[in-house]
Amino acid sequence: MASMTRRTILATAFAAALAWSLPLSAANAGDMRIAFGDLPGIESIQTLAAIERAKERGVNVELIVLNDEDLAAQAIVGGQADVGIGAPYTLIQKVGVPIRIFAQISTLRFFPVVNSEFYKEWKDLDGQEVAVQARGSGTEAVMLLMAKNHGIKLGNISYVPGSEVRRNALLQGTIKASIVDAANRRALEAEAPGKFIVLPVEDLGASDEALFATADYLKNNAADVDILVEELMKTAREITANPAVAVELRNKYKLLPDLGAEADSEITEYYKETAEAGSLALNGGGADAAKDDFAFFSLAGQIEGDPASLKVEDFWDVSAIDRAVAKLGKK
Amino acid sequence: MAVSIRTDGEAAGLASSSNRSATGASWDQPILLRLVSIALFAGIWEVAGRIPVSFAFPTFSDTVVAFFGLLADGSLATAYLSTLQPLVLGVVLSAFLGVSLGTICGLWRTGEWLVIPVFIVLQAAPVAAFIPMVTFVYGIGMTAKTLAVMILALPVIVLNTYKAVRNVNESLLVMCRSFLGTNWQTVAKIILPDASPVIFAGLRLGVAAGFVGVVLAELLITPTGIGDLITFHRSRADYAEMYATIASIIALSTLTLVFLQWVEVRVFRPESRGA
Repeated sequence: MASMTRRTILATAFAAALAWSLPLSAANAGDMRIAFGDLPGIESIQTLAAIERAKERGVNVELIVLNDEDLAAQAIVGGQADVGIGAPYTLIQKVGVPIRIFAQISTLRFFPVVNSEFYKEWKDLDGQEVAVQARGSGTEAVMLLMAKNHGIKLGNISYVPGSEVRRNALLQGTIKASIVDAANRRALEAEAPGKFIVLPVEDLGASDEALFATADYLKNNAADVDILVEELMKTAREITANPAVAVELRNKYKLLPDLGAEADSEITEYYKETAEAGSLALNGGGADAAKDDFAFFSLAGQIEGDPASLKVEDFWDVSAIDRAVAKLGKK
Repeated sequence: MAVSIRTDGEAAGLASSSNRSATGASWDQPILLRLVSIALFAGIWEVAGRIPVSFAFPTFSDTVVAFFGLLADGSLATAYLSTLQPLVLGVVLSAFLGVSLGTICGLWRTGEWLVIPVFIVLQAAPVAAFIPMVTFVYGIGMTAKTLAVMILALPVIVLNTYKAVRNVNESLLVMCRSFLGTNWQTVAKIILPDASPVIFAGLRLGVAAGFVGVVLAELLITPTGIGDLITFHRSRADYAEMYATIASIIALSTLTLVFLQWVEVRVFRPESRGA
């Protein structure tokens, strides 16, 4: 009798687990599943607004948030998501799955920051330790590129993932020279005015975030893709023309509700800077963006081969942005 | 590598040959069976890689080539040099601290009430969730990684030691008392030897948990050593190298455990050999 009950309990538990897991695997049918490679922050307002507008125009978008850009790329290749956000040049080159980038969202903007007690300018960093995001990351490539341009050689490079982690380490004094994104640079200036110097960086022009999908998906879902690309271009143009639009878009679509109303001023500041720097892609990137990316990412060691010999069509599918530019006009 | 496997095989062979001598010649050669098992595993891996199961799943042969590539360019050696520092430090500290704490708690009621609940909670907790907390307090350096190793390794060592000391054979204790053994003699000659099999089992589990801790720390805190090789090769889509690194840390952890068992049998508990 006792063994009977035990068996019944086990069988019930097993059946319950099975029943629970089944609907999960069935509930992934959206028309366009977009994989975010990072938790959406204020820098994602434009993309999120474009997605909302695409939804208004009838594209059934499902957002999937992953905590790693590589995971987003793998989700695309594995078919668990349709459209990814990132700059997966390595994956496109190395993995024999035809993925194509189809629109650039924004270009890289990173700020080398040094503790003013120790360093004042680029040549002070000769032989000194700097902290960057990760080995082979864009931040490392920026530092190496700048070091090369200034004729210096950096010392030990340590890897500290997360701009906000490096910001805190800079504030605590654990690291003296690093590179952070725009939001954390402004936080540094606000929390310790005058303590840090932002070193000048020449315009990089390389993609920070771009949309990508498999070639098959782009071919079979051209109408949906066109709507998303058009809305992305429109929001980029609106925000660049008037950065205050970013907050309006946020309020209209109730984006990033957990950040609260106090984020509005930060968002305004962020997009003012971004617009001035021309970092949002007004025409969706395309061949010009690809050329810049080839130069930058081959320096970063993420793509192999001579940048001049790489073919745009091996990495990009420009048809959607061509159609969008034809419709909206070139800016 | 081969040495420790063979000696372990001999130790096991001593045990099995007496029981199973009649079952046939091949059964007397556990080493052969083990090689067959490894070959079978490699074969299935190779087939799965060739299908392929996933675009990110390399074949066994590619992984072996990548492994020797990593060995040849020295990146594996450099990585292990940096991974082993927090690992060895954390495991050694956990072993001494854990066995002493566990023994004290097993012998002393007040200590048991004070300490054991903490370790029971720690053992039940999803410890990876503590790692961000550790980085907030101890930053991103070696201390944080060593602590991550200890958080994982310590509870199992303490709890095993405590249980072993608490459950020492009562008749042996009575015997020691009837021979007028002192308290110290009771601990050193009766309790610890009698508890040693379970203590050693705890130590082995602790070392395995230490490996988990160091890899977690290197993936979650800052990518150095093995964690760096894994994340770097993943971001470069060099999946063969990534798998080679993962396989190498699994192999190292297995070999360490086999080696510990060998040391335990040869050095500390020779009476258990062939038993």
